[in-house]
Amino acid sequence: MHNIVPLLLPLEGDTSWPPSAASFNSRPLFPGLGIDWVNNHMMQAVIGALLVIAIWLIFSHRQTVVPGKRQFLGEMAYNLVRNSIGKEILGSEFRPFMPYLVAIISFILVNNLFGELFLFMFPTFSKIGYAYGLALMSWLLYNAVGIKKYGFGHYMKKMTLPDGVPVGLWILIIPLEFISNFVTRPITLALRLFANLFAGHLVIMVFVIGGTMLIESGTLFYAAAGGVSILFSFAIFALELLVGCLQAYIFTVLTAQYVSSAIAEEH
Amino acid sequence: MLPLELNLGPLLPEHLSEIFVGIALFLIVWFVVAKKVVPMFEATYAERTEAIAGGIEKAERAQAQAAAALKEYQEKLANARQEAADIRAQAQAQAADIAAEIKAQAAEESQRMIASAKQAIEAEKAAALRELRGEIGGLATNLAGRLVGESLEDDDRIRRSVDRFLDELDSQKV
Amino acid sequence: MNDQGQGITVVSLLLAGLLLYGGAGWLLDSWLGTRLFTPFGLILGSALSIYVIVKKMGGVKS
Repeated sequence: MHNIVPLLLPLEGDTSWPPSAASFNSRPLFPGLGIDWVNNHMMQAVIGALLVIAIWLIFSHRQTVVPGKRQFLGEMAYNLVRNSIGKEILGSEFRPFMPYLVAIISFILVNNLFGELFLFMFPTFSKIGYAYGLALMSWLLYNAVGIKKYGFGHYMKKMTLPDGVPVGLWILIIPLEFISNFVTRPITLALRLFANLFAGHLVIMVFVIGGTMLIESGTLFYAAAGGVSILFSFAIFALELLVGCLQAYIFTVLTAQYVSSAIAEEH
Repeated sequence: MLPLELNLGPLLPEHLSEIFVGIALFLIVWFVVAKKVVPMFEATYAERTEAIAGGIEKAERAQAQAAAALKEYQEKLANARQEAADIRAQAQAQAADIAAEIKAQAAEESQRMIASAKQAIEAEKAAALRELRGEIGGLATNLAGRLVGESLEDDDRIRRSVDRFLDELDSQKV
Repeated sequence: MNDQGQGITVVSLLLAGLLLYGGAGWLLDSWLGTRLFTPFGLILGSALSIYVIVKKMGGVKS
């Protein structure tokens, strides 16, 4: 039974009871060299990125007008982003944003699925730094697009001052809109992704570590409860699979939504 | 005290490097997807759309051709009908002309035949009259000679008086 | 803007209003040692948020 924890939670920093934020700590790959940032979770993120690139290159390699099985699969994935996110939200201007949307949804999705994939069993975005990084990218994207389209002054006015607000309320409304559009947006974007995966993975750790401890307690009743707990963790894994897909989708949809509101014509 | 030293707990990245690693990896993925993947997919879509549009266009062209052929055929048919009708009308007109001509010719012919017959009759009548006059003159002279008892045949005077007599007879008869 | 976009805008604005004016009230309170400004700020923030939402979404459709 000693093998369950390393098998189900191979990348955790600390598997003592109770699981906490410290459980998510990374392990340096070369301890003592002063390069703590080269750690197991970073490697996982690198592998994730390479995997995403590899999968897309395989899908897009040598395409034909009449798709084969491989291309058909790729087109299904691509069409999901293209039609239900790109065209649906950005309308006819979707084409230049396709690379960004495809890249971000697949990068997040693969890293989320690592949470349920053996060898990894750890969702990269439960490390909040990665979530901040991507949220920052999306923030830069929609603001850059808006500024490029309207110019800085016009864009700021559009984003901070709704039509028809009387001058007397400007001083109250402008900070509100500013916070809403430039602060809460990226923060909620990052936190939503991070919190879902962090919480989900924490629950898994509770069941796995707790279950293991119960099994090893020596008492038959506790051991049985521990077995159930381990089994239940698999149900949570299944749930996390769903959450991981959903969060990847939501992050991408929101990015597209922000871009759309940044380039939308005033009414 | 202002709470500027909030303990963010798990909201603070364990290593700040995570942010940069995340961004760097994402940028690489974005770059590859933008350079290789999306253009490929979009090119395939464009090609496919074109192929489908091309097929439709071809079908439309074929349909247009068929419609043109049908129209041409119908026009030809109508022309042929018109022509046939014209020919028929012409033929009827010609037939009428010919009939009229033949009728006229026949009438003329009969006129001519009647005229020549009349002429012949006139001539025969004149000849008969002349012969008759001669014979009657002879008979009369003969008769008168017998009555007188001598031949009057060579006497010019007698012949002249007989002729005068016959002329008078003629004019009386007419 | 589609329905999804409206929902996001509403949530974002409400959050921003509460955070901004609630936070400002809380700062004032901790500075002055009072307990008055935090609830006032929260109410003002949500009121302003709702005002902006109504302005943006074109008001109540009867």
